[in-house]
Amino acid sequence: MLNVPEQKRRVMEVQDDLCPVLIGTSGYSYTEWVDSGFYPQGTRAPEMLSLYASSFPIVELNYTWYQMIRAEAISRMIAKAPDSFLFAAKLTRTLTHERDRDWRQELKLYREGIKPLQQQLAAILIQLPPDFDWTRNNRCYLAHLLDGLQGFPLAVEFRHISWARDSVFAELEQRRVTLVTVDAPSLPGLFPCLDIVTNPSLFFVRFHGRNHQGWQSGNMQKKFDYSYSAEELEEWNNRYLSSLRSKATQGVIFFNNHVRAQAPRDAALLREILHQE
Amino acid sequence: MQDRSIIHLNVTDFAVAVERLQDSSLKRIPLIVAPEQAARALVYDMSEEAYGDGVRKGMRLDRARRYCRRAQILMPRPRLYRRAMSALVAQVIHYTPLVEQGKEDGHLFMDVTGTHRLFGPAPDIAWRLRKQVQKELGLDPVWSLASNKLVSKVASRMVRPLGEYIVGAGEESEFLAPLPLSMLPGLSHEELGLLQDFNLERIGQLAQLSREQLAVPFRKRGEYLYEASRGQDRIPVLPGGTGTGQVCREYHFEDDTAERSEVQGVLTSLVHELGRQLRQEGKVGQRVGVRLSYSDGRRSVRQATEAGGTDNDFLLRQLALTALDRAWQRRVRIRSCVLICDRLLPRSRQQTLFVLNSPQEQQQEKMVAAMDTVCARFGSGTIRLGTAV
Repeated sequence: MLNVPEQKRRVMEVQDDLCPVLIGTSGYSYTEWVDSGFYPQGTRAPEMLSLYASSFPIVELNYTWYQMIRAEAISRMIAKAPDSFLFAAKLTRTLTHERDRDWRQELKLYREGIKPLQQQLAAILIQLPPDFDWTRNNRCYLAHLLDGLQGFPLAVEFRHISWARDSVFAELEQRRVTLVTVDAPSLPGLFPCLDIVTNPSLFFVRFHGRNHQGWQSGNMQKKFDYSYSAEELEEWNNRYLSSLRSKATQGVIFFNNHVRAQAPRDAALLREILHQE
Repeated sequence: MQDRSIIHLNVTDFAVAVERLQDSSLKRIPLIVAPEQAARALVYDMSEEAYGDGVRKGMRLDRARRYCRRAQILMPRPRLYRRAMSALVAQVIHYTPLVEQGKEDGHLFMDVTGTHRLFGPAPDIAWRLRKQVQKELGLDPVWSLASNKLVSKVASRMVRPLGEYIVGAGEESEFLAPLPLSMLPGLSHEELGLLQDFNLERIGQLAQLSREQLAVPFRKRGEYLYEASRGQDRIPVLPGGTGTGQVCREYHFEDDTAERSEVQGVLTSLVHELGRQLRQEGKVGQRVGVRLSYSDGRRSVRQATEAGGTDNDFLLRQLALTALDRAWQRRVRIRSCVLICDRLLPRSRQQTLFVLNSPQEQQQEKMVAAMDTVCARFGSGTIRLGTAV
């Protein structure tokens, strides 16, 4: 279970017969969320996290993918959120997508940088790139990475279909590493949406939107421009989420379709659907 | 007011990076870029390895050679670096028209505020740009993102020669506080020395002082120190770069000099060149600055201003000599001087209703116009004031 005072995660947590679920978004600091009305007009970047925390109990930190996480910046950020608020932090791109630097040194820096977050950390998200396929070298690298991050709650998101095999799931299960369930456009070669739980302590879901055309455009504004309908989310709940919740003791769900504040809108919609059950 | 998103891209050791692109065999060799045949050559740029051995920009080449004996010396090719700089700007201009570039130094600032609907969040733009520059040009820039130019520049300094840094809006002063004062851009050696005399070592310590306290030792500069130490910088990104924000000319003396008349003569020549450029571009400058580099490596900068702005050589010279008097306060020989004219305004084409210039000023204007005509026909430097000789 997550290391957080239980009583503080009340209203925003979905809890019924199945395991509790925390719903949030991927990132919170978007200027366009002011234009779109999620944040009040005139909201400045430093005020966003505390406002966000009044609507959601958890957030996935995106910026840690762009730059190496730094302890002092993380400490300043944590101070703006309530103690009960949780974070998932993406692993830096120099350890996943651009592995041309000394990855051992990068890993050391990451471990140092994330220390202040440890008490409020839901998971470190290891999002692997689409060209990271199931080869011997890549398997070895991933194993080294998981070894190097031992002691932290970990979640792995594959983008390449070649990782969808029982031996991979068994290894993750043995290491108690979470396999990330993704909802994305159904394109050939992409890792499929599966309700497999490899870590009973935590399941981890990411909703990327289903914008087929935008997905390969190379433009984030097109890639993540999608709004889920209530029917789509209900269907997803029946097909995948109920199953995930029956196999784990805690779950986290993030909406990544940030364009025009569709992510917080859809996150609230899914929460409503789950509350109505 | 909306927080600005300023990206600073910096290709470190730009001249070296461009030379290595041209000749990949130079990649593993320490390099010093300097005009080897010059009587007293100064280092124009150097590679990271040479920097590690103690070589610095502006250092005398013979000294640099002693510090890094294994270095290969390359002739500077400013035209090539300018071309590379233009190619760099061409990569980024699609994202925003607000791009301010350095001369040929691999630095540029971009203001991407308000472009999120088109291109997504600012960190993503910066990351994509780096990838694009790597792929298209083979250069690997450092990038940083902050709410103003000052903080983004410091952030780049923190990670160079490789990396990235995002300073969140509202975190500027906390970001700067633990850094040494030498990281704050724009401080002269004298100012740093004075701050050290006050036992101030960190930017955060400086930020604890009030405007009034800073005004005592630093007078007008106190205002800059007050704002900069708090990470405040309201200067906008100036499209087109420093080329539109200022014009400057530099002169290196063959032998260090303490002769005031020699320096004044050089400044007069520089005023001619600079004034002609202003007139060609249809601009007037409101401030003239002189930067002196002493033989011991110290520098001094002082300015003189003309409220309405001018492009007249006589007035520009007068301002330059006033600035020179203010700047030259030490009994140390001068190695080089730079004449800078900034706060540029477009020259008003409308004639005044009444003639306000004195007969002497009118005469001077006619003379400057005649000199321009001669220079245009026979080349610059063919005619000059007697005081420049």
